[in-house]
Amino acid sequence: MTLSRAAAIAGIGATEFSKDSGRSELRLAAECVTHALADAGLVASDVDGLVSFTMDGTAEIALARELGIPELSFFSRVHYGGGAAAATVQQAAMAVATGIADVVVTYRAFNERSGQRFGRVSAAAAAQVNSSGVDNAFHYPMGIATPAATVAMVAQRYLHDYGATSEDFGRIAVVDRAHAATNPAAWFHGRPITLAEHQASRWVAEPLHLLDCCQESDGGVALVVTSAERARDLRHPPAVVAAAAQGSGPDQYVMTSYYRDDLAALPEMGVVGRQLWAQSGLGPSDVDVAVLYDHFTPYVLMQLEELGFCGRGEAKDFIAGDTLTLNGPLPLNPHGGQLGEAYIHGMNGIAEAVRQVRGTAVNQVRGVDAVVVTAGTGVPTSGLVLTRD
Amino acid sequence: MTTIEEAAAKIAAAGPCSPRLARDPVNQATVNTWIEAIGDANPVYRDPYFAASSVHKGLVAPPAMAQVWTMPGLRGARAGDDPMGAIITVLDEAGYSSIVATNCEQTYHRYLRPGERVAVTTELEGVAGPKRTALGEGWFVTTHMRWTVDGELVGEMLFRVLKYRPAAPEPPAPVLRPVISRDTEFFWAGLRAGELRIQRWGDTLRHPPGPMPPDGALDTTPDYLVASGRGTVYSYVVHHHPPVPGKRLPFVVALVELEEGVRVIGELLDAAPDEVRIGLPVVAAFVRVDDDLTLPAWKPLVSGEAGSNRPGHSRAVSELPPLRIDASTTFVVSTALATRDFQDVHHDRDAAVARGSQDIFLNILTDTGLVQRFVSEWAGPEAIIRSVKIRLGVPCYAGDTLTFTGRVLARDGAEVEVAVSATGKLGEHVTGTVALTLPAGAS
Repeated sequence: MTLSRAAAIAGIGATEFSKDSGRSELRLAAECVTHALADAGLVASDVDGLVSFTMDGTAEIALARELGIPELSFFSRVHYGGGAAAATVQQAAMAVATGIADVVVTYRAFNERSGQRFGRVSAAAAAQVNSSGVDNAFHYPMGIATPAATVAMVAQRYLHDYGATSEDFGRIAVVDRAHAATNPAAWFHGRPITLAEHQASRWVAEPLHLLDCCQESDGGVALVVTSAERARDLRHPPAVVAAAAQGSGPDQYVMTSYYRDDLAALPEMGVVGRQLWAQSGLGPSDVDVAVLYDHFTPYVLMQLEELGFCGRGEAKDFIAGDTLTLNGPLPLNPHGGQLGEAYIHGMNGIAEAVRQVRGTAVNQVRGVDAVVVTAGTGVPTSGLVLTRD
Repeated sequence: MTTIEEAAAKIAAAGPCSPRLARDPVNQATVNTWIEAIGDANPVYRDPYFAASSVHKGLVAPPAMAQVWTMPGLRGARAGDDPMGAIITVLDEAGYSSIVATNCEQTYHRYLRPGERVAVTTELEGVAGPKRTALGEGWFVTTHMRWTVDGELVGEMLFRVLKYRPAAPEPPAPVLRPVISRDTEFFWAGLRAGELRIQRWGDTLRHPPGPMPPDGALDTTPDYLVASGRGTVYSYVVHHHPPVPGKRLPFVVALVELEEGVRVIGELLDAAPDEVRIGLPVVAAFVRVDDDLTLPAWKPLVSGEAGSNRPGHSRAVSELPPLRIDASTTFVVSTALATRDFQDVHHDRDAAVARGSQDIFLNILTDTGLVQRFVSEWAGPEAIIRSVKIRLGVPCYAGDTLTFTGRVLARDGAEVEVAVSATGKLGEHVTGTVALTLPAGAS
């Protein structure tokens, strides 16, 4: 039995993306799942599996109660923050492929701007009494205490090792914001930026400017996963899960893998990429759209290298010109990414990958057969290749 | 809609107030006082011979003085239809009694000449709030001022202030404390004893430490080596935002490769952010927090070793020569008066302290002037300043020293955009951008 092409994403749903949703996270979760089921043409009683992130505040049973899902035969959580995003689909696909469940919904919903803001210092993360708390003791008290700061340490070394500049990071932000500008669902709809504006934006953690950092957002996204066979009978053409992989690398930490020989790399994404290409039988040259996790711009460059779109240190040259634009050879984040649309821990990127495969995206790329989508970087992570049936 | 938003909408709907004439025409005496206080030596403002043969074909006033001419003065009162007065009253009555300027974006359509008499109108653009800020809960008020001479628009300004309800001062946040396990206790005990201890399994060093040896043998136990403390910066972060418990912004954290071969993280002390570079030699320091906790830190091995080169980071952009401003009490007072700003917090220490400040502090008109001076000194006396857009950060109290740094953001022929930042003891005081036109023939 192989996982490749056994399952498909048959439904996607989202709330609006805002800075203050005005309702509970449980309500957001229930809304996005309701929308995803309607999109698939299914009802709550069809669902027998739920998957989310360990970080999500909504328990599967609470969601099942609110939606009237009578019985669950599969429920699972994936760890490591945004690194869980694509892995929730992998969990669902494995459950479907093995007959453990028939219809699995994966979800992520939070008030990440109006509630607990991820960009701030999390005293709770520093104080947790477990192996991660012990890990965090070696950087939180010294002042590496926010996500941006953890990334800045790696980004600084990347600039040094490969002669890249802050402007190379900025080019990612400019592309994302250009795409968000024509996406009415994006928070930054109608608000593109220039490279000069990126350069003028204030420092958050050098070498990261404010515009290198994704937004803090309120909202929720849900995905309905079922067998490819069943998906063919549903409302939309299936987005087939051609590959789904997780990855953790040598000497792995959460955001602070600072003790590896090569600091300026994301080997955990290399672990994901090698599996994606092996499972799907495809390669970087077969990819029509790349939805790459963009909480911070430097890691988009490094993902292009880890996934094999270019060689180590070559991303700054690879992205030159129109490479990442909608009509370019590798359109990046046509929805605007997490810098432009919203930061929903990577789940909105998977929804965009589904729309691109269906051909229904607002910034639709022509002739899409295969989309690669990745989850949170700097942490143990995951990825998918979605294809047309 | 809240009451405040309703009131603001009503005030904004009334449009600009009627034009108010400056008390005096643009005049050399006021210009001289201003350039003396700000320290701007540009001859186009004071030397009739130089000015006559310059791009201006005669004396001009510093563009950053735009607002100075129409300041109300010591005894001035706001006009009845001034929307700023109206919205301030609304916010005062709602309990938002304190005020601080946050943004000033001036655009100069042309330079002013002696003898011209400026008029100003003010329009309320809007309010945003209530916002939680570091100063307390408040509302941002944005106004748009337009300066005219005989009906001709010569300059304009977006001005934003925060009207806030002062928050009770919070005690300094304690440091984030480490979670310590049986496997890591020796490291923290070492710091308390002034030792940087690195776990050792036979010949193999390991940091951060853990419970298992490289060969997986369950019958071996580790000891530790006391590191020399010497190493080099392998990578680093200059943290500006958000605040971190126990740290003063901005601060530098360095990942240091010890000469023994392992990497250790600590705050880098006694080094200005722009002196840090990868490869900088450092030595360990020990920061005692209390009886139970000492944190590892670093200091540059030799002072002055750092240099100002920051490879891979700013190499590709043109940097402006830095400018240091000694913001003495005299400087703060003289610039406030030279900009015709008589707010007591800029000249009366007791009044400033009573309002919650630690001393008198620099006013925003001076910041605009200093930014103009800083960029002009780099661009030359005949560069034409098109706009100065600044955002205020932490205050600059009397006795501080400001360091202005800048770099070219964009250049299109003679049109240049420059990013500017001024940093003092408390952190970033001003950031902003300046648009200017370089004189013909400049490279």
